[in-house]
Amino acid sequence: MNEELLIASAKNGDRKALSELVKKYEQTIYSFAFKVCRDREKAENMMQETFYSMIKSLHQFDGNSKLSTWLYRIVVNHCLMEARKNSRYTFVEQETDESLFDEKYIADWSTLPIKNLETNELRTILDSAIDKLQPEYRVVFTLRDVEEYSTEETAKMLELSVPAVKSRLHRARSFLRNEITKAFQN
Amino acid sequence: MNEEKVTCKDVMSHICESLSEEINSPKCVAIKDHIENCEGCRSYFDSVEMTIELYKKCTETLPDDLHKKLMDYLELTDEQ
Repeated sequence: MNEELLIASAKNGDRKALSELVKKYEQTIYSFAFKVCRDREKAENMMQETFYSMIKSLHQFDGNSKLSTWLYRIVVNHCLMEARKNSRYTFVEQETDESLFDEKYIADWSTLPIKNLETNELRTILDSAIDKLQPEYRVVFTLRDVEEYSTEETAKMLELSVPAVKSRLHRARSFLRNEITKAFQN
Repeated sequence: MNEEKVTCKDVMSHICESLSEEINSPKCVAIKDHIENCEGCRSYFDSVEMTIELYKKCTETLPDDLHKKLMDYLELTDEQ
Protein backbone atom coordinates (compact mmCIF):
# COMPACT_ATOMS: atom_id res chain seq x y z
CA MET A 1 0.00 0.00 0.00
CA ASN A 2 1.45 3.41 -0.85
CA GLU A 3 1.85 6.08 1.80
CA GLU A 4 -1.13 8.15 0.72
CA LEU A 5 -3.44 5.15 1.07
CA LEU A 6 -1.86 4.18 4.38
CA ILE A 7 -2.52 7.67 5.73
CA ALA A 8 -6.11 7.64 4.47
CA SER A 9 -6.71 4.22 6.05
CA ALA A 10 -5.04 5.28 9.30
CA LYS A 11 -7.25 8.37 9.44
CA ASN A 12 -10.24 6.04 9.16
CA GLY A 13 -9.10 4.13 12.22
CA ASP A 14 -7.22 1.29 10.53
CA ARG A 15 -4.75 0.18 13.25
CA LYS A 16 -2.77 -1.93 10.82
CA ALA A 17 -2.16 1.12 8.63
CA LEU A 18 -1.04 3.07 11.71
CA SER A 19 1.37 0.27 12.60
CA GLU A 20 2.79 0.39 9.09
CA LEU A 21 3.35 4.14 9.32
CA VAL A 22 5.05 3.78 12.70
CA LYS A 23 7.28 1.01 11.39
CA LYS A 24 8.17 3.05 8.33
CA TYR A 25 9.38 6.06 10.33
CA GLU A 26 10.48 4.72 13.75
CA GLN A 27 14.15 4.40 12.79
CA THR A 28 14.25 7.88 11.22
CA ILE A 29 12.59 9.53 14.21
CA TYR A 30 14.64 7.64 16.79
CA SER A 31 17.89 8.43 15.02
CA PHE A 32 16.98 12.11 14.72
CA ALA A 33 15.87 12.31 18.37
CA PHE A 34 19.14 10.72 19.45
CA LYS A 35 21.16 13.21 17.41
CA VAL A 36 19.39 16.08 19.14
CA CYS A 37 18.96 14.65 22.68
CA ARG A 38 22.29 12.77 22.86
CA ASP A 39 20.74 10.23 25.22
CA ARG A 40 19.15 6.86 24.44
CA GLU A 41 16.43 7.06 27.07
CA LYS A 42 15.44 10.58 26.05
CA ALA A 43 15.49 9.60 22.38
CA GLU A 44 13.18 6.70 23.19
CA ASN A 45 10.79 9.01 25.04
CA MET A 46 10.85 11.57 22.21
CA MET A 47 10.09 8.84 19.70
CA GLN A 48 7.16 7.60 21.77
CA GLU A 49 5.78 11.11 22.21
CA THR A 50 6.18 11.85 18.50
CA PHE A 51 4.19 8.81 17.39
CA TYR A 52 1.64 9.37 20.13
CA SER A 53 1.17 12.91 18.77
CA MET A 54 1.01 11.53 15.24
CA ILE A 55 -1.82 9.16 16.13
CA LYS A 56 -3.67 11.86 18.06
CA SER A 57 -3.34 14.53 15.36
CA LEU A 58 -3.22 12.58 12.11
CA HIS A 59 -6.70 13.83 11.21
CA GLN A 60 -5.16 17.33 11.06
CA PHE A 61 -2.45 16.29 8.59
CA ASP A 62 -3.54 17.90 5.33
CA GLY A 63 -1.04 16.28 2.97
CA ASN A 64 0.41 19.62 1.88
CA SER A 65 3.79 18.47 3.11
CA LYS A 66 5.34 15.03 3.24
CA LEU A 67 4.42 12.95 6.29
CA SER A 68 8.14 12.76 7.12
CA THR A 69 8.37 16.57 7.20
CA TRP A 70 5.34 16.73 9.47
CA LEU A 71 6.87 14.12 11.79
CA TYR A 72 10.18 15.97 11.90
CA ARG A 73 8.29 19.09 12.96
CA ILE A 74 6.69 17.13 15.82
CA VAL A 75 9.90 15.48 16.99
CA VAL A 76 11.80 18.79 16.83
CA ASN A 77 9.19 20.41 19.08
CA HIS A 78 9.34 17.57 21.58
CA CYS A 79 13.15 17.57 21.60
CA LEU A 80 13.42 21.34 22.05
CA MET A 81 10.87 21.30 24.87
CA GLU A 82 12.89 18.58 26.57
CA ALA A 83 16.18 20.42 26.01
CA ARG A 84 14.83 23.63 27.53
CA LYS A 85 14.38 21.82 30.82
CA ASN A 86 18.13 22.14 31.35
CA SER A 87 20.74 24.59 30.21
CA ARG A 88 24.10 22.94 30.46
CA TYR A 89 25.23 24.03 27.02
CA THR A 90 28.38 26.05 26.56
CA PHE A 91 27.86 27.30 23.03
CA VAL A 92 25.60 30.26 23.30
CA GLU A 93 24.70 33.08 21.01
CA GLN A 94 27.09 35.47 22.69
CA GLU A 95 30.03 33.67 21.13
CA THR A 96 31.29 36.38 18.82
CA ASP A 97 32.19 36.05 15.17
CA GLU A 98 35.68 37.13 16.23
CA SER A 99 36.13 34.00 18.37
CA LEU A 100 34.21 31.69 16.05
CA PHE A 101 36.09 32.68 12.92
CA ASP A 102 39.49 33.33 14.43
CA GLU A 103 42.23 32.72 11.87
CA LYS A 104 44.04 30.48 14.36
CA TYR A 105 41.49 27.87 13.32
CA ILE A 106 42.82 27.75 9.77
CA ALA A 107 44.43 24.42 10.56
CA ASP A 108 45.06 22.08 7.67
CA TRP A 109 43.05 18.98 8.44
CA SER A 110 45.02 16.94 5.95
CA THR A 111 47.77 16.92 8.61
CA LEU A 112 45.40 15.75 11.37
CA PRO A 113 45.39 11.99 12.06
CA ILE A 114 41.63 11.65 11.53
CA LYS A 115 41.93 8.61 9.27
CA ASN A 116 44.14 6.80 11.79
CA LEU A 117 41.59 7.13 14.57
CA GLU A 118 39.57 4.18 15.73
CA THR A 119 35.87 4.72 15.02
CA ASN A 120 35.17 4.85 18.75
CA GLU A 121 37.76 7.56 19.38
CA LEU A 122 36.39 9.66 16.57
CA ARG A 123 32.87 9.12 17.83
CA THR A 124 33.94 10.35 21.28
CA ILE A 125 35.38 13.53 19.77
CA LEU A 126 32.26 14.15 17.67
CA ASP A 127 29.95 13.44 20.62
CA SER A 128 31.86 15.78 22.86
CA ALA A 129 31.71 18.58 20.26
CA ILE A 130 28.00 18.25 19.52
CA ASP A 131 27.19 17.90 23.23
CA LYS A 132 28.38 21.47 23.70
CA LEU A 133 26.20 22.83 20.94
CA GLN A 134 22.92 24.43 21.95
CA PRO A 135 19.94 22.27 20.87
CA GLU A 136 18.49 25.08 18.72
CA TYR A 137 21.70 25.00 16.67
CA ARG A 138 21.99 21.22 16.78
CA VAL A 139 18.51 20.90 15.28
CA VAL A 140 19.37 23.21 12.39
CA PHE A 141 22.67 21.44 11.72
CA THR A 142 21.02 18.01 11.82
CA LEU A 143 18.06 18.89 9.60
CA ARG A 144 20.13 20.81 7.09
CA ASP A 145 23.42 18.91 6.90
CA VAL A 146 22.68 15.41 8.17
CA GLU A 147 19.10 14.91 6.96
CA GLU A 148 19.78 17.15 3.95
CA TYR A 149 16.64 19.26 4.04
CA SER A 150 16.92 22.53 2.13
CA THR A 151 17.35 25.81 3.98
CA GLU A 152 13.76 26.74 3.07
CA GLU A 153 12.32 23.41 4.31
CA THR A 154 14.33 23.67 7.52
CA ALA A 155 13.07 27.22 8.05
CA LYS A 156 9.46 26.07 7.61
CA MET A 157 9.87 23.13 9.99
CA LEU A 158 11.39 25.31 12.68
CA GLU A 159 9.23 28.37 11.98
CA LEU A 160 12.37 30.44 11.52
CA SER A 161 13.33 32.90 8.79
CA VAL A 162 15.71 31.68 6.07
CA PRO A 163 18.45 34.13 7.23
CA ALA A 164 18.06 32.81 10.80
CA VAL A 165 18.55 29.22 9.59
CA LYS A 166 21.60 30.23 7.56
CA SER A 167 23.09 32.09 10.48
CA ARG A 168 22.57 29.19 12.92
CA LEU A 169 23.87 26.66 10.41
CA HIS A 170 26.92 28.70 9.64
CA ARG A 171 27.77 29.15 13.33
CA ALA A 172 27.03 25.50 14.18
CA ARG A 173 29.27 24.19 11.40
CA SER A 174 32.12 26.47 12.41
CA PHE A 175 31.72 25.68 16.09
CA LEU A 176 31.79 21.91 15.49
CA ARG A 177 34.70 22.20 13.14
CA ASN A 178 36.65 24.29 15.66
CA GLU A 179 35.87 21.86 18.51
CA ILE A 180 37.17 18.95 16.45
CA THR A 181 40.30 20.91 15.60
CA LYS A 182 40.83 21.71 19.30
CA ALA A 183 40.42 18.03 20.24
CA PHE A 184 43.23 17.11 17.85
CA GLN A 185 45.46 19.97 18.93
CA ASN A 186 45.23 19.01 22.63
CA MET B 1 32.43 43.01 -5.04
CA ASN B 2 36.05 43.36 -6.05
CA GLU B 3 37.87 40.06 -5.55
CA GLU B 4 40.90 41.85 -4.09
CA LYS B 5 38.79 43.00 -1.15
CA VAL B 6 37.98 39.44 -0.02
CA THR B 7 40.12 38.45 2.94
CA CYS B 8 40.57 35.05 4.61
CA LYS B 9 38.32 36.30 7.39
CA ASP B 10 35.57 37.15 4.85
CA VAL B 11 35.92 33.68 3.42
CA MET B 12 35.72 32.00 6.82
CA SER B 13 32.61 33.90 7.78
CA HIS B 14 30.80 33.13 4.52
CA ILE B 15 32.17 29.76 3.55
CA CYS B 16 29.58 27.77 5.44
CA GLU B 17 26.76 29.36 3.58
CA SER B 18 28.23 28.43 0.22
CA LEU B 19 28.55 24.73 1.02
CA SER B 20 25.87 22.68 -0.74
CA GLU B 21 24.11 25.77 -1.99
CA GLU B 22 23.92 27.51 -5.32
CA ILE B 23 25.07 31.01 -4.65
CA ASN B 24 26.09 33.16 -7.55
CA SER B 25 26.24 36.54 -5.88
CA PRO B 26 29.32 38.62 -6.76
CA LYS B 27 30.66 38.13 -3.25
CA CYS B 28 30.32 34.35 -3.44
CA VAL B 29 31.91 34.21 -6.86
CA ALA B 30 34.80 36.27 -5.47
CA ILE B 31 34.98 33.94 -2.47
CA LYS B 32 35.07 30.84 -4.68
CA ASP B 33 37.89 32.42 -6.70
CA HIS B 34 39.71 33.25 -3.46
CA ILE B 35 39.41 29.67 -2.23
CA GLU B 36 40.91 28.38 -5.45
CA ASN B 37 43.98 30.47 -4.83
CA CYS B 38 44.34 30.40 -1.05
CA GLU B 39 45.70 27.27 0.57
CA GLY B 40 44.54 28.23 4.08
CA CYS B 41 40.96 28.88 3.00
CA ARG B 42 40.89 25.75 0.87
CA SER B 43 41.90 23.75 3.96
CA TYR B 44 39.23 25.48 6.00
CA PHE B 45 36.57 24.77 3.38
CA ASP B 46 37.62 21.10 3.20
CA SER B 47 37.54 20.73 6.98
CA VAL B 48 34.03 22.18 7.31
CA GLU B 49 32.93 19.81 4.55
CA MET B 50 34.58 16.91 6.39
CA THR B 51 32.88 17.92 9.65
CA ILE B 52 29.52 17.51 7.92
CA GLU B 53 30.53 14.17 6.42
CA LEU B 54 31.67 12.83 9.80
CA TYR B 55 28.36 13.71 11.43
CA LYS B 56 26.37 12.17 8.59
CA LYS B 57 27.98 8.83 9.44
CA CYS B 58 26.97 9.05 13.13
CA THR B 59 23.67 7.22 13.00
CA GLU B 60 22.03 5.50 15.92
CA THR B 61 20.20 2.27 15.18
CA LEU B 62 16.89 1.58 16.89
CA PRO B 63 17.44 -1.37 19.26
CA ASP B 64 15.11 -4.33 18.55
CA ASP B 65 13.42 -4.21 21.94
CA LEU B 66 12.49 -0.54 21.49
CA HIS B 67 10.31 -1.34 18.50
CA LYS B 68 8.24 -3.67 20.66
CA LYS B 69 8.14 -1.17 23.53
CA LEU B 70 6.96 1.52 21.13
CA MET B 71 4.22 -0.67 19.69
CA ASP B 72 3.08 -1.59 23.21
CA TYR B 73 3.08 2.06 24.27
CA LEU B 74 0.94 2.97 21.25
CA GLU B 75 -1.26 -0.10 21.72
CA LEU B 76 -0.44 -1.28 18.21
CA THR B 77 0.58 -4.73 17.03
CA ASP B 78 2.79 -6.17 14.31
CA GLU B 79 0.19 -8.74 13.39
CA GLN B 80 -1.17 -8.79 9.87
